[in-house]
Amino acid sequence: MNKTILVVEDQEDNRQILRDLLASSGFLMIEAHDGEQALAMARSQRPDLILMDIQLPVVDGYEATRSIKRDPELKHIPVIAVTSYALSGDEERAREAGCDAYVAKPYSTRHLLAKIGQFFEKPL
Amino acid sequence: MGGKDALVGYVGRIPAPVRTKLLAAFLLVELLLVALGATGLLALREVEQRAGDLASLQHKIEAYRQMQHDTLRQLYSVSSALAAPDNATLPSALRQINQFGYDLDRVSFVAKDEVALLGRLREEYSRFIAIATRVLELTRTGRTSEARQVQTAELAPLADRLERLTNQLVNRAEADMVNGVDASRATYETSRVYVVAFALAGFVLTLALGYAISWSIIAPVQEIDERLNRIAAGDFSQKVVVANRDELGALADHVNLACERLQELYQRLQDASRHKSQFLANMSHELRTPLNAILGFGELMLDGVYGEVPERMRNPLERMQRNGKHLLGLINDILDLSKIEAGQLSLSVADYSVDELVRGVYGAVESLAAEKKLSISTCVPPGLPPARGDERRLAQALLNLVGNAIKFTDSGEVAIEVAARGDSLTFSVRDTGPGIAEADQAKIFEEFRQVDGSITKTKMGSGLGLAIAKRIVEMHGGRIWVDSSPGAGATFSFTAPARVE
Repeated sequence: MNKTILVVEDQEDNRQILRDLLASSGFLMIEAHDGEQALAMARSQRPDLILMDIQLPVVDGYEATRSIKRDPELKHIPVIAVTSYALSGDEERAREAGCDAYVAKPYSTRHLLAKIGQFFEKPL
Repeated sequence: MGGKDALVGYVGRIPAPVRTKLLAAFLLVELLLVALGATGLLALREVEQRAGDLASLQHKIEAYRQMQHDTLRQLYSVSSALAAPDNATLPSALRQINQFGYDLDRVSFVAKDEVALLGRLREEYSRFIAIATRVLELTRTGRTSEARQVQTAELAPLADRLERLTNQLVNRAEADMVNGVDASRATYETSRVYVVAFALAGFVLTLALGYAISWSIIAPVQEIDERLNRIAAGDFSQKVVVANRDELGALADHVNLACERLQELYQRLQDASRHKSQFLANMSHELRTPLNAILGFGELMLDGVYGEVPERMRNPLERMQRNGKHLLGLINDILDLSKIEAGQLSLSVADYSVDELVRGVYGAVESLAAEKKLSISTCVPPGLPPARGDERRLAQALLNLVGNAIKFTDSGEVAIEVAARGDSLTFSVRDTGPGIAEADQAKIFEEFRQVDGSITKTKMGSGLGLAIAKRIVEMHGGRIWVDSSPGAGATFSFTAPARVE
């Protein structure tokens, strides 16, 4: 059974990269364009992992992650924060919001894949 | 002290130029000196007058004494003439008597005060002469016993009285003399008090005026000086408050005005600088988003996600990737520096292992060094306790130094060393590159500076690496420096407290 990954990303080009990357690695990818959509899709689709961009319209990535982690049904889903802030303190903020890992943009696709892989080595 | 300060304040508030105040003070002191001289002269005159009085008293006493002396001799000669009357002694006695008359006349000139006494003296004298003449007449005519009788009964008491009177005159004059000396001494004492009082007053006044005027100048100058120092240190918050209504008051007003202008300018400059940094931070963020797509697609292509990459295309694709990453590095540098300048960069302090930090940096540059066939070594003292600081930022600083060393060294080696001394860690990066001339060593830590502009083009770099490293090190409370001479390689070092709290 292929793992399903929810990608929350507002930019088409970046979504395309992830689509190509994840498809080539045998993942199923579902997409959300903002934090609100992300929460709805997490509830309806129950992905195995969420790649969460932080700068999002409507509801930002921190807020969306906090909502997911507050939900007892969803809180077990790993959330990897993807941010292009790369400011010192971003990692802490992401962890405070409940993110399980943190990747700074621009990321190396290989690095990102390795990060995703870490979560599937462990038994879910 | 309070009184003095009040005086200083008062002098300061006089609405007159400083030179007028100084002139007034000097005139006042001059006046006091003139008064002192005048008092001295007056005292001298009085003393001189007293001395003159004493001299005339002296004369008087001499005259009285002469008179007393003459009286005694007279009495003696009259007595002896009567005891042994002959023609030789009688005229001599008469001469003596007449001599006394002269004395009396002389005394009349000198002693104008004792007119009554002299009058009585003269009266007694006339009677004495009359009786003495009678006695002499009786003697000459041989009526000796009668003469002796008259002498005993009338002349002797009269002589006694004359002697008492002249004694009285001498005593009185001597008493006057004593009084005169006392008065002279008293005059001297009084004059001395006046002169000393004037001198003291002059001294105190000069001191007080000197103190008041100089402090009315020095205090505001010090105040203004302190203010200017504060302004130089970037504190525009306080005003100079000076009570003076002279040139110094005007100076203080101008300093305050200049300070206000300066504060406005400084504020505007700071705002502009902050806006610039903010803009740079935003811009670098915006630049990263498309770059992410470029690098991402490139990497996917190279990884064969879109099918096998033809051999001819692999090299250009790799070049694209390399340049893209370089562009990313430049943008990151600008972002970092603008964040530091905008005050948006805070350290995230945690425990870290020095050994792991150095190994991480080594891992990041290993392939770069290998490409240039440089040997790279690390040396970390074994068994270092965990350090505390912003590991990521310290690693960035060290990475910048190592990256530069590799970039500028064409052959030889790059060595990374850590030394622990007390509470401080020293990270050093030694290379066998071209070295840096003394004159350039300070410049290289400034933003956007490189020793030789042309190197930037061949070596590719933002020129911000050292500036960023310096800021990071300084944020940790350490310092960064370089030891080098042209041709002998360079050693860049920085210190960081082992445990930053």
